Amino acid sequence: MSGLSVAIRRKAFSGAGVLGEIVFTLAPGERAALIGPSGVGKSTLLSLIAGFGGEFDGRVGRPPGRVAMVFQTPRLLPWRTLAENVALPPGSGGMDRARALLAEMGLADAADLHPERVSLGMQRRAALARALAVEPSLLILDEPLVSLDPEGAAAMRRLLVAVLDRTGATALISTHDRREALALADRVLELGGRPARLTGDRPSPLDRKARRDPEAVEAAHRRLFAEGG
Amino acid sequence: MPSDRAEGAGGRVGWTLLSLLGFAALWQALAALIDSPALPGPAEVWRAALFQIENDHYFGHLGATLARVAAAFFVSMSLGAAIGLALGLWRGADRIFGGWLTLFLNLPALVTMILCYVWFGLTETAALLAVAVNKIPNVAATLREGGRSLDRDLAEMAAVYRLGRRARLFDVIIPQLQPFLAAAARNGLALVWKIVLVVELLGRPNGVGFQLHAYFQLFDVATILAYAFGFIVVVQAIELFLLEPWERRAGRWRR
Repeated sequence: MSGLSVAIRRKAFSGAGVLGEIVFTLAPGERAALIGPSGVGKSTLLSLIAGFGGEFDGRVGRPPGRVAMVFQTPRLLPWRTLAENVALPPGSGGMDRARALLAEMGLADAADLHPERVSLGMQRRAALARALAVEPSLLILDEPLVSLDPEGAAAMRRLLVAVLDRTGATALISTHDRREALALADRVLELGGRPARLTGDRPSPLDRKARRDPEAVEAAHRRLFAEGG
Repeated sequence: MPSDRAEGAGGRVGWTLLSLLGFAALWQALAALIDSPALPGPAEVWRAALFQIENDHYFGHLGATLARVAAAFFVSMSLGAAIGLALGLWRGADRIFGGWLTLFLNLPALVTMILCYVWFGLTETAALLAVAVNKIPNVAATLREGGRSLDRDLAEMAAVYRLGRRARLFDVIIPQLQPFLAAAARNGLALVWKIVLVVELLGRPNGVGFQLHAYFQLFDVATILAYAFGFIVVVQAIELFLLEPWERRAGRWRR
């Protein structure tokens, strides 16, 4: 049994190819980062894997159980409080569990506020709580740290690692930041070209403990991506 | 905060009353200047209203009209919203039926009324049908825009998180449509009651429209105005005490 198997041959928008051949599998519990420049097609690939990307040529095998996604924008319902948002998906365990999850994310005091009244970082954490509420076997994260200030991003990164350690879900995390990829993932998949293909697939040189150390991440980044960026 | 909101509503009512008092003063002055039965002053209209209340079932007629407005409003809002949403969501439906919508939007109200009475007789059903046929296209046109503007991002979120039909409708779609529903309701109320009066004038034995017709034949302007103002008061009350609180409640999440 695999955590995720992806075999995409082609995805096009109104005739123009966006994704070319992309084939990879993730073992259950494996965490992969998907890197590549902005606009290369990372979000499109993630949408196909999550199951809402529309028609494409190829197939995606998801693991048994639920899929959860943390989108690039939090996509919370603005007319529901954070707790109500977390409790909305069926199987999320109701309001008490929503509050407990939000408390874990450091949002105990914000549980009854509406999304527009809290910061983007807090909305991101609430979106992560919503993803965890359904106990997914596959967790897809689309640029979870983008447009957060450095401190907020560091806090969110620590939270993500803790959450991934705890759930044991298979995870696919897109990012355009290679350091972020090394800090979060067991494996780094690289997307490039037009239509986008898999141009790199390498295991992280850091084990899960080592990648908590920013200096180790920095050193690995220099070794792996010496050519720049 | 609830107290703030109550104060806000109170303030609004106060200003509205003050502004209306100003209008009444101007009207009284004008009536005194012209001094003709064609323009009775507010005091005279008030006396006419009192006379109607005592002698000619004022509230009975007002109630009959209100019941027709309520029924026609309810039918047009629910059918119009469903049709408009379908047109907004499915391009195929819009291609096939969009032309029909334009046709019905431009069909004169009087023509529908005459046709309904000719086809179905001078009955209550025909009257309500005539009003609904006039109003449904308006609601549908407004809600079609609402359907077109629904957020794809939230729809994708609902799909990933496997929200059921009920949750998609009540938690995701209807809150997005709320401003469109409010606009349709507000325009709808104003339009529906005007059409109901004409329907009553043409073929009903009671209601404000029927009374207006009767007193028009007697050139009794004071009574005509007494009925008109009774209705304005009711519509204003609906706006102030139903529509506005609903909109505030629905929008309380906004920053």
